[in-house]
Parts: sequence; structure tokens; C-alpha cells
Amino acid sequence: MSPPFFKGEWTMRQATSIWDKIKSKKDYLYILPAVILVTVFFISSILFTLKLSFYSWDGFNDMQFVGFDNYTKLFRDANFWVSVRNTGIWVVFSLIISLILPLLLAIMIVNSRPAGLFKNIFYFPSTLSGTVAGLIMVSMLSKYGIPQVFGLLGLNNWVKDWLAIPVLNTFVMIFMGTWTGIGMSMLLFIAGLRNMDRSSLEAAKIDGASGIQLYVRVVIPQLSTTTIVVLLMSLVNSFKVFDNIWVMTKGGPFRSSETLALTVYTESFVRNNFGAGAAAAVFLTVIVLIVAYFNLRNTFKTDN
Amino acid sequence: MSKKLKPKQKSSKACNLILTVLSLVWVFPVLFALIGSMKTKQMYNLTSFWELPTAISWGTNLEFIAKYSNILQSVLNSLFYAFCGALGCLIIASFAAYGLTKLKIKFRMFWFMVIYSGTIFPFQMYLIPVFKAYLKIGLYDTRIGLIIFYIAICVPFAMFVMRNHFLNISNEIIESAIIDGASDSRVFFSIMLPMSKASLAVVALTQFSWCYNELMFGITFVNNNAIKPVMATLSTFTNNTPAMLTACFIVSIPTIALYLLLNKNFDTGIAYTSK
Repeated sequence: MSPPFFKGEWTMRQATSIWDKIKSKKDYLYILPAVILVTVFFISSILFTLKLSFYSWDGFNDMQFVGFDNYTKLFRDANFWVSVRNTGIWVVFSLIISLILPLLLAIMIVNSRPAGLFKNIFYFPSTLSGTVAGLIMVSMLSKYGIPQVFGLLGLNNWVKDWLAIPVLNTFVMIFMGTWTGIGMSMLLFIAGLRNMDRSSLEAAKIDGASGIQLYVRVVIPQLSTTTIVVLLMSLVNSFKVFDNIWVMTKGGPFRSSETLALTVYTESFVRNNFGAGAAAAVFLTVIVLIVAYFNLRNTFKTDN
Repeated sequence: MSKKLKPKQKSSKACNLILTVLSLVWVFPVLFALIGSMKTKQMYNLTSFWELPTAISWGTNLEFIAKYSNILQSVLNSLFYAFCGALGCLIIASFAAYGLTKLKIKFRMFWFMVIYSGTIFPFQMYLIPVFKAYLKIGLYDTRIGLIIFYIAICVPFAMFVMRNHFLNISNEIIESAIIDGASDSRVFFSIMLPMSKASLAVVALTQFSWCYNELMFGITFVNNNAIKPVMATLSTFTNNTPAMLTACFIVSIPTIALYLLLNKNFDTGIAYTSK
């Protein structure tokens, strides 16, 4: 029996083509949950934060449109620039450390024995949370920890809480961040070294290259793919550091060790300036997006 | 390994020596925490950190933790959140990765970028809107709200890793299965998933650990101490250092155990996280 809105006959071909259409749409069901989650949580969040950065909102009352006020206030705030400076310090230093140290470690581990044990020792802190690592560091750098050693040496000025000394505390935290931060990069370098094309290595050896020369001329250039991945990964991550700093100093004393990631949080949830927090978030996002652009271009170079 | 790079015996010894010294530096904080956790509060404040305690006070410290903090409850909370988060994101992400690599979907690259965009933006961007939305629809300060958020935030990266893995599974196997009459879902469950154990393990491990170790969203989306995730509770633990150090060990057990358990898969799967 053909339905009334069907002028022609309900042929097998039409039936199958409609069935095919439903079936071809069925494939979209596989990606639907992921697309919905990302759209609801993240894409709409980004748009909302962008909007909020032009409003003034204390978290309870109605939002009020203020134009670029949040941004101009932020850019005139000396604390904001301290935060930008600290973010810059974090990015530059953790980049240098998180590239060189894991590479050297990976090279040494591949040449050592028992390689597995060493690998696990250096990876181990990466399994700890930023909170746990931060708390251990807080007690280690308090006057009950390492500073005591300086007391033994007669340097009594140094026997105090190191995390309370502005500027120094940022460097101390970066140093401690490498403790938990380099594990993944190291594993990537080890994987890169193990999967390396050996023929050019052998050729270079026959040509008489050895030791450090061999690594600088042959091995490290071959690791360029891994190096770029590690570089961009650490770069994006270094902008986002929150847990370590929050646990160790909460951005203090007197906001001296705050980074942009913390500014977003404290402006919003400590000082209830959600508009200013949103503006700081947008500022941070613009910087991260520039970095992410290179990251994406590198990731999908091979796809196209 | 020595077969691969043929290191000279001399340089190998030098590597071992340097690595041993560095290893000592690397385990120093753990030793510091271990010795600290064995002391009582008075002993910790009076003695130097290198002085070993006369008696091990783990009992006293554990008692303090059980009595004056919610750590143990929070560990259970977080194990539950992290389990749900990792499982949920694995299911949703591998479905999506399968769809994006093996099924007939138009504008694959566009849909991929939509999902992958979740990894690009700084997470601080999501704090305020999700907080506000959760307040409005009643998900603020609930277990389910936190779990849904953890699933959502893990999906993009998990999808990325699974997609890289699925791209390497040849289409011929799938085509021959389809000729034999297997449906898409059959292919997914009987071919794709069994061939992806290493990647699934790595995704499960990294995402479980991420959820378990997460602090920022935990302190923002939850206020009630009874349902707080573990790191949120731990971060407010300040006045008794030896007890806090003991708590640090307790809360770290799950993620360390998981890493040791999946150690072997980890090496195989890690390649897919960076392609």
C-alpha cells in the first residue's frame, strides 16, 4: 500500500534509497555525543566568556554592559603586568628546561643499564598530582626544609620560607615544576631514539663521527619531529599552569607570583570581578591561540 | 638497545653514573616527604629534616587524617569520578574516532576540528561559564555535574589519540568483515576495539589520572565537603605538616599503581599521543 502523499508507485528503489539515507545519517550518531559535549561545554563557554568580558558582573546581580572597561582597567592594573611578566618567565624557562633536560635524560637512559629503572625513576613524579607535588615542595622549601641546610653553613638570612620571597619564588616553582613536568617529554624522546633510522647512524660512525659529535650532527637532527611536538606541547602547557602555583603560593605574597591562569581564577572567584576575570581569560586565550596555530599546523602537516 | 646504538662501554658507565646522581636528586623530595610523614607534629617542628625519627608515627598521623579531614572520603569520591570520567570519555571518544576515520561522514576534517578544539583553549576559559550554567540548572555542587564535566573535558584528547590509532588500522580488514556481513557496530566492537588495547589503556590511564589529579574545576564546581574531589580537599590541608605528608602518600597510591600496572602498554601507546 502506498502512502497518500506518494504520487508514483512505492518502488523498491525508492524504498532502498530512503533507507540508505537514514543509514548514511546513522553514521553521524557515532560522532554526535562528542560533538554535543564539546559544543555545550566548550564552544558555548568560549562565546560566553567573550561576551562576559564586555560586561560587569559580581556573580549574583544582573550583568551590565560596560564596553571595553574591563580591558582598559586590566591594562592599567600593575598587578596584571606582574602576572604577564610571571607568565612570560614561566613560559621561557620551562620551555628551555623542558626541552633540554628530557632530551639529555633520554639519551643517557637509552645508553644506560638498567634503562627501565632509570626511566621509571624520572617518570615517577609525573604520576603525582600538581597538588601533591606542590605540597611536598611547600614543606621542603619552608624553614623546616632545605633552607635549614643554609643555616648550617652560617647563612642565617636564607633560613626562611623561600616561597615567600618575590621573584625568587617564581623561579623556585619553575624548578620544582620540572620535577613533575618532564616525564612525558622524556618518554617521547626515548620512543623517538628507539625508533630511529639506524642506517644513517651507522654511516656516520663509519665516517668516524663519535660521542657528542655523533649526537649533535646525526641523532638530534633526526629527532626534530619529536622535538617540535615536545616544544609545542610544553609551550601550550606552560601557559596553563595552575595547580602547582595555587598550592604553593596562591599567587602571593601580594600577588607577586601570580600568572595569567591564576589571575583569571582570582579575579573571578576570589574578588568576584567576573568581567575582569573573563577579560584576562580572553587575553590569555589570544596568546595561547597564536601558539596553538603553530601546534595545529605541525600536527596536521602530514594529513593534507 | 646496546645492539641499536652500540655505546662504548666507557660512555655507558658515565651515563649510569650521571643518572644515578640525578636519580638521587629526583627521589630526594620523596625521601623528604617519607621522613617527614614518620614524625609527629612536635618532632617535625623541633628536629632537622635529615634527622630520622625515633619512632614511626604513621599511626598518629593516620588517626589525625581520619579524624580531622575528609581525605579518605575524598579519595573514594575521586576514584569514582575518575573512573566514570575515563570510562565515559573512552566510550564517547572511540565512537567519535571510529566515525571520523572509517565511516561515511561529510566534512570529516570540520567535525574533527570541532571536537579537537576542546584541547586548544586554556581551561580557565571554561571556568566562569560552566560555573554559572551549573548554578542555574542545579548541577553546581553535585557529583553528576562534576562527572559530566570530566567526561566532556577528556573527550577531545582521547578522540585525538584514538583517531591516530584507528587511522593506522587498514581498511582492508574492515572491508572484508563488511563483505562477510558484519555491521558497522560489529566492526567497531569486534575489530577496532580489540586491535586498540594499547591505545585504550594509555587513554584510560592518562585520563583517569588527569581527573583524579585535577584541582581547579574541583574547587570551583563543588563546595560540599562530603562530595569534594581529593585534590580539592588536600589543598586545604595545612596546619599539620607530617599528617599532610602522610596524606600525600595515601592519595598518590591509585595513580602510581595504575602507572606500574600499565607500564608496558604505556610504551606502545605513547607513540599515538604525539603523531
